[in-house]
Amino acid sequence: MVQEFKYVAPATLDELLRFLSEKAEQGERAIVINGGTDLLVSIRAGLAAPDYVVDMKKIPDLHEIRFDATDGLSIGATVTINELLESEVVEKQYSVLYAGAKTLADHQLRNRATVTGNLVTASPCGDTTSPLLTLKAALVIRSASGSRKMLISEFITGVKKTALKPDEIVEKIIIPAASAGAAGGYKKLKRIKGHDLGLVMVAMYKKGDEIRFSIGSAAPRPVLLEGIKPGTPVATVQKMAQDAISPIDDVRASAEYRRAMVDTYVAQLMEEVK
Amino acid sequence: MTITITVNGKQYRRDVAEHRTLLHFIRQDLGLTGTKESCGAGECGACTVIMDGKSVKSCMILAAEADGSVIETIEGEAHDNELSPIQKAFEKHHAVQCGFCTPGMIMSVKDLIRRNPHPDRQQIIHGIEGNFCRCTGYEQIIEAVEEVAGTRTEKGELDYV
Repeated sequence: MVQEFKYVAPATLDELLRFLSEKAEQGERAIVINGGTDLLVSIRAGLAAPDYVVDMKKIPDLHEIRFDATDGLSIGATVTINELLESEVVEKQYSVLYAGAKTLADHQLRNRATVTGNLVTASPCGDTTSPLLTLKAALVIRSASGSRKMLISEFITGVKKTALKPDEIVEKIIIPAASAGAAGGYKKLKRIKGHDLGLVMVAMYKKGDEIRFSIGSAAPRPVLLEGIKPGTPVATVQKMAQDAISPIDDVRASAEYRRAMVDTYVAQLMEEVK
Repeated sequence: MTITITVNGKQYRRDVAEHRTLLHFIRQDLGLTGTKESCGAGECGACTVIMDGKSVKSCMILAAEADGSVIETIEGEAHDNELSPIQKAFEKHHAVQCGFCTPGMIMSVKDLIRRNPHPDRQQIIHGIEGNFCRCTGYEQIIEAVEEVAGTRTEKGELDYV
């Protein structure tokens, strides 16, 4: 790393939260490191300049993935993408999340990158963000002074921006039991066959008489379409999607190409996800 | 800070700057320069090592985070002047050209074979997607892995030479 910082690794959640609140009061920049796959790139590029890097991975309580038929699925902050993929309940009950997570980066990065980190990074192209939006997932946010629960749709406020305050952490992600067992699919457009950021991606959720779509990389924040009834014509859903997105031209793809691929993926998913 | 790390079966206890990456620690502090740095941003896989049994990109980890861990690098492959089975297969199939991606590639393959001893072609391609090779076009690497895995079904390019 070009920049210097201090590294601390609290052993308990209380210790971590106390540290963050102290540093926030003193006006020092303490940034939590989880998988580090985005943070270390940002520090290296000079986009983040923390005084302290606070490791949350040494806190055992944050490393739990648990399913309960009443409360749903709870994914602890430090659960990695590969650990999520190893969970049978994720593969069987939350197929849209499984499908999205499988396409995230490559095996080595999935061994480090975490589901929570993917959300907190708040990139428009997060591969678990769109699936989690369709599942109506919520976050439990904690600070030394208490905790609050928030839907992901409220949490992500813009490109790389979230509602998280400097003294707060995301403790876990909760996916409601009501979303379990839904059929799902995920389509991701890439420039190459290997690992790549998505140029555009579409997630679909279908359970009972409710269909939801989420579209990533096509607006500052992933977009959620909900309340779609089975039997709705493809063209109607495509129109809803086109009205909701606002893609831009950039180095990776044109807005026109992104719009065209959203239509293609919506049609493919409606055909494939039964 | 002082960290303790086991690399290829040998335990090291060293002072390390808190902002140092695991990659720089391995290369510069321990002098194990088999592990390469290329992009330094988690894209290319040249710095792949196995940490506590899982393949990771060492440029994306702080040495401080790796305190207490067990690391395997390319230097742990050959023993008593004898190449490991993966290295032998890479040699046989000409899977090494410039060689810069090879140490990371071999660590990814090692991890893949441990998880799945007999990967098919698609699983091999998926398993090495985090390692870029700009020389071979991957074909010879895939053949080498098929050889190690015992899943070769077709003749490779070199079989016709």
